[in-house]
Amino acid sequence: MSVTDLSAVCSPIHQARGLPNAHYIDGAVFTEEKQALLYSEWAGLAVAADVPEPGDAVPISFLDIPLLLIRDRKGAVRVFQNTCRHRGMILVDAPRKIEGAIRCPYHSWCYATDGKLVSTPHVGGPGKNTHEGIDRDLLGLIEVRSHIWRDVVWVNLSGEAEAFEQAMADVIARWAEFDTPLFHGGADSRFQLDLNCNWKLAVENYCESYHLPWVHPGLNSYSRLEDHYHIEQPGAYSGQGTLVYRQLKNDDGTEFADFDGLSDKWDKAAEYIAVYPNVLLGVHRDHAFVILLHPQGQGKTREHIHIYYATTDTDANLRQRNTEQWKEVFAEDVFVVEGMQRGRNAPGFDGGRFSPAMDGPTHLFHDWVATRVQAHRDQSTAAE
Amino acid sequence: MTRLNNRLLAAHAAGDTPALVALYTEAADTAASQDAMGFYLTQAYIYALDAGHGSATVLHSRLVEMGRDY
Repeated sequence: MSVTDLSAVCSPIHQARGLPNAHYIDGAVFTEEKQALLYSEWAGLAVAADVPEPGDAVPISFLDIPLLLIRDRKGAVRVFQNTCRHRGMILVDAPRKIEGAIRCPYHSWCYATDGKLVSTPHVGGPGKNTHEGIDRDLLGLIEVRSHIWRDVVWVNLSGEAEAFEQAMADVIARWAEFDTPLFHGGADSRFQLDLNCNWKLAVENYCESYHLPWVHPGLNSYSRLEDHYHIEQPGAYSGQGTLVYRQLKNDDGTEFADFDGLSDKWDKAAEYIAVYPNVLLGVHRDHAFVILLHPQGQGKTREHIHIYYATTDTDANLRQRNTEQWKEVFAEDVFVVEGMQRGRNAPGFDGGRFSPAMDGPTHLFHDWVATRVQAHRDQSTAAE
Repeated sequence: MTRLNNRLLAAHAAGDTPALVALYTEAADTAASQDAMGFYLTQAYIYALDAGHGSATVLHSRLVEMGRDY
C-alpha cells in the first residue's frame, strides 16, 4: 500500500483539500481505516430494539468480525464474539430466541446468555463432562465492550477507547434535553439502504446543509438554506441544524407527542449530527432517528435506519407517513453518494476543495479522519 | 433399544428437542453400564439446557452425583 499524503486535509478550510481518492477506493486503505477509525473508537453496531426480549439474539457481521448481539436473562444487552471457544465455530447463524443456553452446533459446548461457559459435554471422554485441562471459568464467550446511548449499541472493538461517557461527553451534553425515554416505532419504522459508496461519503453528505436546495428541493418551501446552521465539534462530531422544523399532522390535526421536558428552543428546531465514526442521529421535538453505517468494503455501505417516538402508542398512519417521508429524503441522497464514489476513480481528482462558508462540518470530518489515520500510522511506525 | 434408537433418530430428524430430552433420559435409565448412562444423561442434559427445559437441573444433578460434571 502506498501511504497517502494527508498533509493538505488538516489545513485551514480555505486551503484544505479533501481526503485522497485512495481513502474511498483502495482496499488496503480501507483496512487501515478499519483499525484507525472503527475498531479503536466507539462505533455504532445495532440498536437495543433489535433484541427487545431476554434471550433474543442477533448475529451481526461487523467489519468482517462475527458478533452476537443478545439480551441476557437479566435484561442487559451484551455483545460477544459469535465464536465458540472450542473450535471457533459460529454459534448463532440467524436471529432467534435463546430459550435456554447458546449451544454450539458442532460439539454442543453451551454458554449462558451472559457468556459463561456452562457445559462441555464429553470433554473428558464419553459421558465425562469435565477435564482438568478445561477451566470453564476461563472459557466464557469473548465479550466486546459496549454501551447503549439513544438506544444505539455502541461497541469499542479495540477495548482501548476512553469510557463512553467521556468520549461522547460533548454530544451527550448538547442533547441532554433529549435524555428521555424513546420508543422504537416498530417494524414500519426500520429500513435499510444499500449504497455503492464508501461509508465516509454517507457521513460527509449527512453533516452538511449545502446540498439541501439542490438535492432535496422539496424542503425549499419551508426549510430554506438560510434556516440552517452548522454544528461543529472538532474531533467528535459535526452536522447541521434547522430553525424551521414543521411537524407532520394527520388530516384531523393530530400530531406525534413531544418528548417530555423540551425547552421552547425545540419548538421549531431540529438537529442532525454525525457522531464519528459511523452513527448519524437526528432529533426533533416529536421523533428521532438513528442511521447506522455498516461498511461492506471500500465501495459498499449498508445503512440501517430506525425511527423513534416519545410514546409507544403512536398513530400507525402518521408513523407510516413519517417513515415514507424520511425514506424519500434519504433516497434522494443515494445518487449523490454513489456519484461521489464513482468520481473518486478519476486519478486527477485531488480530494476537492471545500466551501469555507458551507463545508465546515464536512471538513471537520475529513480532519478527524486524517488526524486519526496519521496517529495510527505513527503508532504503527513506533511499534516497528 | 432398536425401537428407542429409531425414535431418537426420528426426534433428531424433526429437531424435536423436548422429545430428545425424554428419549435420551429413557436411554440413560435403561443403560447397561455407568459409562453408557453417563453418555445418555449428558445428551439429555445438553438438549434440556439448550431448550431451557425444566429437567436440566435434575439431569445435571445426576451427572454431578456420578462424578461426571460439576
